[in-house]
Amino acid sequence: MTRRSDPIVGLVLLLVAAVPVMAGTLSVQANLADHGPFAGAVITVRGEASHAPAAPISAILDQINLAFVPDIVVVPVGSTVEFPNSDSVSHQIYSFSPTKRFQLPLYHGKPYPPVHFDQAGVVTLGCNIHDKMVGYIFVTDATYFGRTDAHGAWSVTNVPRGIYHVSLWHPLLRDSVASLERDVSVTSDEPAKTTLQLAQALRPAPLQASARSKDEY
Amino acid sequence: MKALHTLGIVSALWVAAPGIAWSTDWELSADMRLIDSDGQTSLFDGGLGTLRYDSDHEDVQVGRLRAALTQPLGDVWALKLDASYWGQDDAHPLGLTEAFLEYRPYPVDGWRTRVRIGGFYPPVSLEDTASGWSSPYTISNSALNSWIGEEIRTIGVEGSVEWLGTRLGHDFDLGATAGVFGWNDPAGVVVATGGFSLNDFQTPIGGYVGGRGSPVFPENQLFHEIDGHAGFYVGAQARYLDRVTFLALHYDNRANPEDEDFATDEYAWDTHFNSLGVRVDTESGWTAIVQWMAGTTSVAPEGDSYSWPFYAKFALISRQWGRSTLSARYDIFGVDSNADGDFGDEDGHAWTVAYIFNQSLHWRFALEWLHVTSEVASRAILLNEPTFARENQTQLSIRYTIGSDRLY
Repeated sequence: MTRRSDPIVGLVLLLVAAVPVMAGTLSVQANLADHGPFAGAVITVRGEASHAPAAPISAILDQINLAFVPDIVVVPVGSTVEFPNSDSVSHQIYSFSPTKRFQLPLYHGKPYPPVHFDQAGVVTLGCNIHDKMVGYIFVTDATYFGRTDAHGAWSVTNVPRGIYHVSLWHPLLRDSVASLERDVSVTSDEPAKTTLQLAQALRPAPLQASARSKDEY
Repeated sequence: MKALHTLGIVSALWVAAPGIAWSTDWELSADMRLIDSDGQTSLFDGGLGTLRYDSDHEDVQVGRLRAALTQPLGDVWALKLDASYWGQDDAHPLGLTEAFLEYRPYPVDGWRTRVRIGGFYPPVSLEDTASGWSSPYTISNSALNSWIGEEIRTIGVEGSVEWLGTRLGHDFDLGATAGVFGWNDPAGVVVATGGFSLNDFQTPIGGYVGGRGSPVFPENQLFHEIDGHAGFYVGAQARYLDRVTFLALHYDNRANPEDEDFATDEYAWDTHFNSLGVRVDTESGWTAIVQWMAGTTSVAPEGDSYSWPFYAKFALISRQWGRSTLSARYDIFGVDSNADGDFGDEDGHAWTVAYIFNQSLHWRFALEWLHVTSEVASRAILLNEPTFARENQTQLSIRYTIGSDRLY
């Protein structure tokens, strides 16, 4: 018996084979003004045609040795963040950022439920007891997001073909965010790459909280 | 229904209560010294020396025994107490150097306010940033801040407001402070009659500086109200990121120099001064501080008017690496006098070199060498001794601390 190929099966097989071909990789390289790698920069990627925010997550922002750990948390809109205090001293967390205003009265451990972030934007966190503590929550409605590694690199795979809007943010940025936005075309042929080059030096990073001084003058 | 609602709130608070930390933070420390000194009799023993430890107080001495606590009272109020014993028989033995209620509401739209009520230091020192108003750079304070620790304390109310620019994407924070106080009318008597010294002593509230019954420099009570006039101060702070801090203060106790407390024989010393300073901290561990202060103190008993313009300034350079801090400071200070025989007139300068090793949160070891050169007119008048003196003090400090990791 000869086996005849079924045109419909053939079409399905062709489509299945084509699916990976329709997705690509998007790589971002972030460089400082001195052309060194920009580690820890927040990268967000939005599709131009169809915009689908990433699914909400539950994140944790700890407080260890009078510092927020990590110093920056990136979460999709609708996510929750928990703020445990692992120090033996009390903390009193607040944000007066319009994106999300909240306060967690003086506490140790983990007495409060997670805080819900339902609006995109930057939330600057402080401790009303330890004035030097500063942390950030970057709430994004982007489809893809992340932070650059030690080499200033970040990438995402399986990105459907299309035009994407890439942007960069960091709390110490002096460059305008608009000057670091790029439209990148993702095709199936080869990985899409873009380089975000800062024009200005970052603000100096806060000095490490040291045992020798308090927060006062 | 309303009762149920209330019950709901109460039970929610009950559930939340175990984690909410209204617990007391506290700290106890013992700082013992090994002293080598050729200093003249110190102010604290009724002399006119410029060091804390004179040649009669060598070998093992108590530096400071300290107990401090912070008791939150609700979410935004706290009671702060700082008590010390300084090991000096002839000074107020144990007392509160600071005791106040603090109100710290949450910042709103980048503005932070603070209110303090009680007894505390005005914002003047750029070096005394460690716990208990001590210096993280040296054992002995600069002449400027030694004087603040001896004579100046706010017993009153202070309000401050700060614009947190760095939280809003700017490079600066700006602040302003104003205080109203009483019970500091004798301030000025020590600098006018005893001159400046370099030490880490802080007069407890209700305490005194001087030697009890000394004919040269007797005990001077510092925290009394004599004329019923409130004093005030206004200050400004500016910070560039967390690297450069400016601090300015204008202080005036508004004492009536003609007033005298006949019961205690104390005068109201009309004292005002301005202070300006800057501190720079770098990422590589360097700190530089320059601070300047100048003012005048006056008394006018029975129609005679005497005034003593005074100034003190210092420059400090410090390098921290790991647990070690090495610091050097140069002080220059002086008092002018229009009194008979230039009584109280002084010119001096000092070099301080200190090495501090913070072994852990518990143990701190510090070694300091202090050299003071001073010309004090009263040494000839009161002691019939040369006005000029060179004094040297070397001290080793071993301090052990227990308690909460860090008080707030």
